[in-house]
Amino acid sequence: MSEVDELVSKILTQIKDDDSSNGSGSNLSTPTSSNGAELGRNDYPLYQKHPEKIKSPTGKPLDDITVKNIASGKVDSKDMRITPDTLRMQGEIAKNAGRPAIQKNFQRAAELTKIPDDRLLEMYNSLRPYRSSKQELLDISSELKNKYNAPVCAGWFEEAADFYEKNKKLKGDN
Amino acid sequence: MKRQKRFEKLEKRPVHLDGFVKRWDDEGLVAMMGKNDPKPSIKIENGVVTELDGKTQDEFDLIDQYIAKYGINLENAEKVMNMDSLKLANMLCDPNVPRSEIVQLTTAMTPAKAEEVISKLNFAEMIMATQKMRPRRTPATQCHITNTLDNPVELAADAAEAARRGFPEQETTTAVARYAPMNAISIMVGSQTGRPGVITQCSVEEADELSLGMRGFTAYAETISVYGTDRVFTDGDDTPWSKGFLASCYASRGLKMRFTSGAGSEVMMGYTEGKSMLYLEARCIFITKASGVQGLQNGGVSCIGIPGAVAGGIREVLGENLLCMMLDIECASGNDQAFSHSDIRRTERLLGQFIAGTDYISSGYAAEENKDNTFAGSNMDVLDYDDYVTMERDLAVNGGIYPIEEDEAIMIRNKAAKAIQAVFESLGLPPITDEEVEAATYASNSDDMPKRDMVQDMKAAQDLMARGITVVDIIKALDEHGFDDVADAVTHLAQQKVCGDYLQTSAIFDGNWNCISAINDTNDYKGPGTGYRVWEDEETWNKIQDVPWALDPKKTDF
Repeated sequence: MSEVDELVSKILTQIKDDDSSNGSGSNLSTPTSSNGAELGRNDYPLYQKHPEKIKSPTGKPLDDITVKNIASGKVDSKDMRITPDTLRMQGEIAKNAGRPAIQKNFQRAAELTKIPDDRLLEMYNSLRPYRSSKQELLDISSELKNKYNAPVCAGWFEEAADFYEKNKKLKGDN
Repeated sequence: MKRQKRFEKLEKRPVHLDGFVKRWDDEGLVAMMGKNDPKPSIKIENGVVTELDGKTQDEFDLIDQYIAKYGINLENAEKVMNMDSLKLANMLCDPNVPRSEIVQLTTAMTPAKAEEVISKLNFAEMIMATQKMRPRRTPATQCHITNTLDNPVELAADAAEAARRGFPEQETTTAVARYAPMNAISIMVGSQTGRPGVITQCSVEEADELSLGMRGFTAYAETISVYGTDRVFTDGDDTPWSKGFLASCYASRGLKMRFTSGAGSEVMMGYTEGKSMLYLEARCIFITKASGVQGLQNGGVSCIGIPGAVAGGIREVLGENLLCMMLDIECASGNDQAFSHSDIRRTERLLGQFIAGTDYISSGYAAEENKDNTFAGSNMDVLDYDDYVTMERDLAVNGGIYPIEEDEAIMIRNKAAKAIQAVFESLGLPPITDEEVEAATYASNSDDMPKRDMVQDMKAAQDLMARGITVVDIIKALDEHGFDDVADAVTHLAQQKVCGDYLQTSAIFDGNWNCISAINDTNDYKGPGTGYRVWEDEETWNKIQDVPWALDPKKTDF
C-alpha cells in the first residue's frame, strides 16, 4: 500500500514540476520538507537527522540498501542513485549555510538525474571546445527542455551556444 | 678560476639539483603582483557586471564572462571593492573578526582585488589566516595509492594500511590507462577493509573518470582541471561551461567532486598572457566558486616546480590555498607532486599548510614508496611516515597521519589482499594466488611482488567494463566469501551516495559513517583557546603522542 502512495505522490510532484518549468523556468526555492520550511544546518546530516526523507529512485527507503537485499537481488544498482528530491534538500542545506552557488549546481544536477549515463557523457563532450555547431548546442538545449524537463540545464546550453559563438569555440572555429 | 673549497661543497648539496629562475613578468614567471596584472575594478549596471578588472564587457573572454555572471556576490561587490586591501588583509589574520563575517566580503571581490589582498600578507600571517579560514574545523590529509605495475593486490594492501593510518580520502591513477577500473576496485575494497568510511577516486580522463563513478567504483573525483587563461583552458579541452556541466553530472550521480588548479600550469602550457601566477590562480578559484563546486585542489599541485623556481613562490602557493578558503571552498592544499631534491626544502614546502591545518594538508601524500608513485612522485612518501608523525608529536599538530603498530599493518594488509583475491575470483578476473597475498602482506614496494600477466589483467579490466560489472557485483562477491564487514562497508558507501550528505563542503566520513563537513564541523577559530586543538581531541592526540618508538617509563627498569 505504501508503495502505491509513494508512487502517486511522486507522480503528483512530477506534474507540479512540469507546471512550474513551463513558467519562469526556475524552481530554485521549491520547498521539499513536509511542513513547507526549507532545510538548514540543523537538519544535517540527513542520514542521521532525516533518514525517512530519503528514498531511492525506485521509492525504497534507505534502510533497504543492505548486503542481504543486494545478495538476494531485491536491491540493485538502479536503487543506489540519488534522487532529485534529495539533491533539492541538500541544495537547501547548502544555501542556508551560506553557499547559494552550490544550490544552483545541485539544481542542475537534480535535472540530470533522469538522463541515461551514456547520453549524459555525450552531452558533456558536446560542450567541449570546437565539438558542436551553434545549432547542435541549441538542439541539445531543446532535448533537455522537452525530453528531460530540464529547463535550467537547457538554459546552460543556450547560454554556451551564444558565448561560444562570440568567443569562437564552435565547431570549425579552431 | 681557482675553485673555493666551500663553494665546491655547497654545489654538491641536493638543493642545487632543483631549478631556479629569475623574474620574467612577460612570460608569467612571477609569483604575484606582476607588472601586467590588472588593477581591481568592477562596474555593475542593472545587476549585470559590465566591467571586470579593467576589461569592459565586449572585451571579456569566456573566463571573465563566467566569473562575471556566476562567480561574484554582487550584493557586496561595490562596497568591498572600495575597501582598503590592507584593511581586508588585516581582518583576515585578526582572530577577532569571525570567519563567517569576512566570508561575506571575500566572496564579493574580483580576482585582481583578491590577489591584492593576499599580497599584503607575509608567510606567518598567511598561516594565521589559514587556520581561521579553512572551512572544516578538523584538519585531515589525502594520499595516493599507486604502483608502477598497477598490481591490484599491492594496491589493496597499501590502501588498507593507509586507511588505518588515518587518510579519509585516497586517490589512485594508472601506469597503463586501461587498468583504470581494476585499480579503482582494488583501492575501494582495500580502503574499506582498512577503515570503513574512507572515500576513493581514480584519476583518469574526464569522461572515463565519470563513468567509473557511475558504476560505483569510485566515490569522488578531483582531477577536473581548470585554468586561468582562455587559451590554456581550451588546450585543456574544456570551457568553463563544460566544466560547470561536468560538475553537475557528478552531483547528479551522488558523487563528491572538486576542481583542480594551481600556480604554474599556464606557464607550463605556454600561455600566461604575461600575468602573475597568483592572478591566474585567482581566476581559477573564482571559476570554481561560479560552478557551485564545493572544493578545489590547488597549491602548485603538479606544476609545483614552476612556483618553486621563482622568488616568493612557496609563499604564493600558501596564498592561493588561503584564497580558496576565503571563497568558502574546501581546499586540498597541494604538497603532492615531488618538487625538491632537498629534504630541507621538502619540509619547508609542507610547513605552512601543516602548521595552520587545512581540509587536506596534502592532496596526495605517497602511501607507497615514491618509486611506485605513478603521479610522478610526491613531496613525502611512506618512508617519511615516522618523520611526519614525529613532526606532529613535536609541534602538537594534527597533520592527519597516525602511527600504527607493525602487527596491525601486517594483519590489515593481509585481510585486504584476501578480500581483493575473493573479489577477483567472483568477478572472473585473472586469479590472485596465495603467494601474491603473502607477498603483498609483507611488501614495501612492487619489486617485492611476484609478477602478474599484465596483458591478461588489462584485457580483464576492459572486459569487466564491457560486461557491465557494478559495485553490486563487488558487494555480492565479498558477501559470498564471508567478508561480511567489508561487504557492509562498501554497501554503506553506496548508501551515502543516495543520501548526498558528503556532497557538502569539506566532507569526510569517520569510521562509523558520520559525515563531518563544514556544515556540522564548522571552523570556529577565534584566537587562543578556540578552534581545533589536537590535545583536546583525545583519541587522536593519544595515538600521536604514544608513538610506538617512544620509551615507556612504566615498562623500563632504571
